[in-house]
Amino acid sequence: MTDACRCITCGDVAVVARVLELRGANALVALGAESEEVAVELVAPVQVGEELLCHAGVALARVAG
Amino acid sequence: MKHVSEYRSGEIAARLAQRIAALVEPGRRYKLMEICGGHTHAIYRHGIEDLLPREVELVHGPGCPVCVIPMGRQDDAIAIAEQDGVIFTTFADMLRVPATNGSLLDAKARGADVRMVYSPLDALRLARENPDRHVVFFAIGFETTAPSTALTVLRAGAEGVENFSIFCNHVLVPPPLRAILDSPDLDLDGFIGPGHVSTVIGTRPYDFIAADYGKPVAVAGFEPLDVLQSIYMLLRQLGEGRCEVENQYVRVVRRDGNERALAAIDETMEIRDSFEWRGLGFIERSALRLRGRWTQFDAEARFELPGARVADPPACQCGEVLRGVLRPWECKVFGTACTPERPIGTCMVSSEGACAAYYNYGRLARRRSERTPA
Repeated sequence: MTDACRCITCGDVAVVARVLELRGANALVALGAESEEVAVELVAPVQVGEELLCHAGVALARVAG
Repeated sequence: MKHVSEYRSGEIAARLAQRIAALVEPGRRYKLMEICGGHTHAIYRHGIEDLLPREVELVHGPGCPVCVIPMGRQDDAIAIAEQDGVIFTTFADMLRVPATNGSLLDAKARGADVRMVYSPLDALRLARENPDRHVVFFAIGFETTAPSTALTVLRAGAEGVENFSIFCNHVLVPPPLRAILDSPDLDLDGFIGPGHVSTVIGTRPYDFIAADYGKPVAVAGFEPLDVLQSIYMLLRQLGEGRCEVENQYVRVVRRDGNERALAAIDETMEIRDSFEWRGLGFIERSALRLRGRWTQFDAEARFELPGARVADPPACQCGEVLRGVLRPWECKVFGTACTPERPIGTCMVSSEGACAAYYNYGRLARRRSERTPA
């Protein structure tokens, strides 16, 4: 989600991010042109390329294709 | 972008709007509450009300986590932030919420070390980097945000971090819904259920709305086609005389939610007996606090707080807006004394607040439509 203002309190709009790299209990995910590290233990195991719904630094769900 | 652009097709939206209009029964009105502030934001941002027949009215619910925190808790937050040696961390929206003696930003201007973070995990990182300071995270949000707080507490415990605590203000979605459904002047036909809260709690916790109160629910995503489809699903239920909990947001919401997230919350937090909501008053069993075995991470146990109940400023009508009694533009200070730049009330602060959403996206369209003869 890159073209909307992002509310960090309630996961406003879809904060869907693609996994770029696995880093233990975290993963580096792509958010538009940016990337950030999120905790993935609530949805693990995840794979590179998978899409995750992320909120406040934590992946909450895998996005069904 | 996948999962965004494909849910914003104007052509499909127009077709959905036609299908919604075709479901409207002559002489019948449909009053639907979108529970989540994210939906309020999406509805105004994408002009969804303009696509709906006049018979369908959307009412904004209490689901903006910034808006429902009462002023007394904001005062408590500032009292913690102004303690010596504290680094106080918060999500951005809470920085600007007015309290009795200014906002957290004002406290920062007075010398408090207040910092914005995107995640409680960032606050925990700050604690590791500043072992001589005590880092407090201002935890607010519904069940969507509670898992990140829970994970942070678990990681802090596993790492033995000693200079970190949480000021826990997490609130729950189902209790205020029951309060709204129990209100004597209830005038709602159905609910658009919160999408991201439901990724955590699932759809089961809304069963009582259909079973006990006979109102349909459609849990929805946040793109325009998601919201339109959920309205279509609700009107179809109403037309067929059904009241069920349906799930429009199947790409991320499961019936049982995220069981690992729920387990993390349960391990670290318990339900408070009662919690005050702005505009709704005290609601039983509607908020979370840290469990006793995590006291070392509980800012409420660590700091002495004013803990006072503070009335909103007389000019502020956020309470009425949160209860759906007033529409944003009906508040007497909307867009004049109260703007996103200089908010008086919480509903004008957060992008999910009905007033801020309406101010940013809806007010000009409304003025145009008021000027256009019917």
